[in-house]
Amino acid sequence: MSRVFSNNNNSFIIANTFNYSALDDESKILAWLSPLEPWVRHRDIGAERVDGIGAWLLETEEFRRWHNAPREDESNRATLFCDGNPGVGKSYIM
Amino acid sequence: MVMLIGCDNSSLVIDKLCDEAGEGDAAVMCFYFDFAARNEQSPVNMLGSLLRQFVSGLKKIPEAIVRDFQKQKTGTGGRGLQVLGIMKMFQAITTTRRTFICVDALDECVPEHRAVILESLRQILRESPNTRLFMTGRPQVRSEVEKRLDGAAAFISIRPTEDGVIRYLQDKLRKDTTPEIMSSTLEAEIMKTIPEMNSETYVETSAREKLP
Repeated sequence: MSRVFSNNNNSFIIANTFNYSALDDESKILAWLSPLEPWVRHRDIGAERVDGIGAWLLETEEFRRWHNAPREDESNRATLFCDGNPGVGKSYIM
Repeated sequence: MVMLIGCDNSSLVIDKLCDEAGEGDAAVMCFYFDFAARNEQSPVNMLGSLLRQFVSGLKKIPEAIVRDFQKQKTGTGGRGLQVLGIMKMFQAITTTRRTFICVDALDECVPEHRAVILESLRQILRESPNTRLFMTGRPQVRSEVEKRLDGAAAFISIRPTEDGVIRYLQDKLRKDTTPEIMSSTLEAEIMKTIPEMNSETYVETSAREKLP
């Protein structure tokens, strides 16, 4: 684009407008898909988590089977549900 | 490609999945239900949020999604998005990639929404065999999960461990904003009594669970 417009004083303005418009459209499309922002909660949890707590879960047979299942192996369970009472730290384990 | 929501300092399982995703071509998405936000966390917004995370990780927004977006702009009012539309977009782009969906606090999703969301997730799993679903919630939604996902789920009960409680207490004491009023005697008492209380709770819970 810059080669085509190399003798044109407005070339940078044209290029900038184009880029801005593409980015603007992209953010509009993303906002259209959903206005929710789960990464805010995700960030808070990451900041508060104490390292190592709950690591036992990663060693369980259920987790390993769920995590390491070969692709498209229908005999494996695709869902793992962890239940626990309020305050046991489920969100930090996820 | 990988990362969808920010893998630095994540929760335990997401951390593990992100490590793996960093080596390959997997995608990790997550969602947190919150009863206080129940009105906004409708099925279309929740499923749209997962799709949004997936799309954000791509180099370019898929044409099919851009087309649907352009179409609704010419429509009359509203976002014009429905669960069915989201599902179609989802299935069009996730079938080949190994994808992990993590959903927290399913019990905080209102029952009417939960029914639609679990059915939609079931369909995603059926259509995209490379997708894995990790969820957390209180025990009372466990049987609903089992039923709505056709029994295709494994379950783990989360209980505090003694090691976990000790680590947690140590962290809290380290970050205590008023350390000047904490004596070594009180600190030792906390480190002894609270883990013991936890193990008593555990024994009681286990005993109760054995009752018919």
